[in-house]
Amino acid sequence: MDVLSNLALGFSIALTPFNLLMATAGVILGTFIGALPGVGPVSGVALLLPLTFGMDPTSGIIMLAALYAGSMYGGTITSVLINTPGESASVVTCLDGYQMALQGRAGPALGVAALGSFIAGTFGVILLMLMSPALARWALSFGPPETFALMLLGLTTVTGLTGENALKGYMSMVFGLMLSMVGFDIISGDARYAFGIPEMMDGMDFLPVAIGLFGLGEVLVGAEEAAELRILQGRYGLRDVMLSAGDWARSRWAIVRGTVLGFFIGVLPGAGPTIATFLAYSLEKKVSRHPAEFGKGAIEGVAGPESANNAASAGAMVPMLTLGIPGSATTAIMLGGLMMWGLRPGPLLFEKNPEFVWGLIASQYIANVMLLILNVAFIPMFVRALRIPYNILMPLIIIFCITGAYAQKNSVWDVGQMLVFGVLGYAMKKLGYSPAALTLALVLGPLAERALRQSLIISDAGLGIFFLRPISAVLTVAALAAVAVPVARALRAAASRVRRAPVPAPED
Amino acid sequence: MRRADRIAGAALLAFAVAFSVGALRHYTYWGASGPGSAFLPFWLGVVMAGLAGLLLLGALRSSVAGPAWLPRGEGLRRLVIVLAVTIAFVALLKVVGMILGTALFLVALLRFLEGYRWPVALGVAVLAAGANYLVFTYWLRVPFPVSALGF
Repeated sequence: MDVLSNLALGFSIALTPFNLLMATAGVILGTFIGALPGVGPVSGVALLLPLTFGMDPTSGIIMLAALYAGSMYGGTITSVLINTPGESASVVTCLDGYQMALQGRAGPALGVAALGSFIAGTFGVILLMLMSPALARWALSFGPPETFALMLLGLTTVTGLTGENALKGYMSMVFGLMLSMVGFDIISGDARYAFGIPEMMDGMDFLPVAIGLFGLGEVLVGAEEAAELRILQGRYGLRDVMLSAGDWARSRWAIVRGTVLGFFIGVLPGAGPTIATFLAYSLEKKVSRHPAEFGKGAIEGVAGPESANNAASAGAMVPMLTLGIPGSATTAIMLGGLMMWGLRPGPLLFEKNPEFVWGLIASQYIANVMLLILNVAFIPMFVRALRIPYNILMPLIIIFCITGAYAQKNSVWDVGQMLVFGVLGYAMKKLGYSPAALTLALVLGPLAERALRQSLIISDAGLGIFFLRPISAVLTVAALAAVAVPVARALRAAASRVRRAPVPAPED
Repeated sequence: MRRADRIAGAALLAFAVAFSVGALRHYTYWGASGPGSAFLPFWLGVVMAGLAGLLLLGALRSSVAGPAWLPRGEGLRRLVIVLAVTIAFVALLKVVGMILGTALFLVALLRFLEGYRWPVALGVAVLAAGANYLVFTYWLRVPFPVSALGF
């Protein structure tokens, strides 16, 4: 079978000592980054991207993908023990996870999260493996209009879902597209908006922007407070995290539902793990026979969302690998990494770089096994790491931002650019704009422009070409609907003058 | 927040108009074979101008000031110090070098902002500078700027 021989190829790559080492580094760092409040998977991937430059791209993506998976496990620890989400995909885990910890059941809460994450992560990779080649083959038939419509859909859905303010989300996205116009235009050779500065002629570099927005920007937000973390004392050794038969009976179907729901939410362009956890939680509450227990320590309230975020992080890889459209903010950064390594994301990736794709898929199986072991047996170690005061970590992260921004091209200009975007990221976060939408637009901008111009060149009907071809028509209509929904919602909200409760902005 | 929205709306509106006008003035909107290098930038400017206009309009009409977004007092002081020390580090990067700069930066923040004792501040600084050297200079062979001392 085709899949099996490809998988064998993948394992032969993923099991080389160096790649195993990278996967190990990725899962440990990822769990740690996920556990730390204030740094999530997006910042983690942006900050570690510079470390991958000396490596083969396959080793690089193995480390980053392991980190992504690890952060989904690690976020749970903080949610359960400190009642502060380590990253946004673990926000809902606070609701029941912390309650369980207060009742002395921190062990089972962490245990069910680790087990659910493992099952969901593994099934997610299986689905990723089975679905991606077919999707890639289908996408091979895409011409420029379909490509453009797909990117438009990715941009509008991401923007519609991130941030509490749709208008500011779209402004962030359009600003990102504007920034992506800077530099040489491939078709005409014009150095657009470069103002004669040589560094600008190459375009807005993606890496310093990402490190600035997500690394330095986050640190600056955290720098305002000198808060100490209060960690709940409890028992979470190996024996304590084991589930009782009753816990397992209550949570097994929640894990299954979370897995399926999470994966397909993750595949949708724009909806990442965070959205998946919110949906999984409300699904569990709806199907539960004792909905009153939710919020008071229901184990399903941990099992469902914690499974969903791992399945979604695997699902988010599907559109990134097959279509070149990231399914989440973290995969948007990875996509930027892919381009920096000189790979062309999109349907051809499976044909031209099988060792990259299959090495990544195989390594995800390995990473999930490693993570299960880490998160069952080594939780006390991560808890101890959480005791490192934030005010020591904060300056260290800034050093990492500066070094990382410099290391890509050995350029002080890039460090300055990182600094500017760090301040911008701080302001955007404080004012309700979406750094994730900006980053995604910056990555997709040049590709979208090329597809748009090629489409208009071959078109006899101007913009009508996007509606005349069936696939692109469906995608374009979906993209426009994604814009229309928040607009309609805003108009209705304005009409009724009802203030809605703030929704935390997803950042994964 | 309302004031910030007004300022951001007005600034982005001006930026968007300049972006579109600049595109039309300096680049080609429609070439012989199709859309030129000014085509998308022009329309992006138009869309941004529209969005910024909406934000500005909403903020001008709104009667509630909304929550303050900039920190005050201690929070503001911490933010300014962290940012100032970071900017100073970047500005002096070519003079102090990356490795020595790392150590100095950490000592400055840990000792003088966070009030750690000297041994802690120096310990973290030396460890971090060493790790930085090991990973980036030794392993990844990144040619960092060096100080007059040679590191």
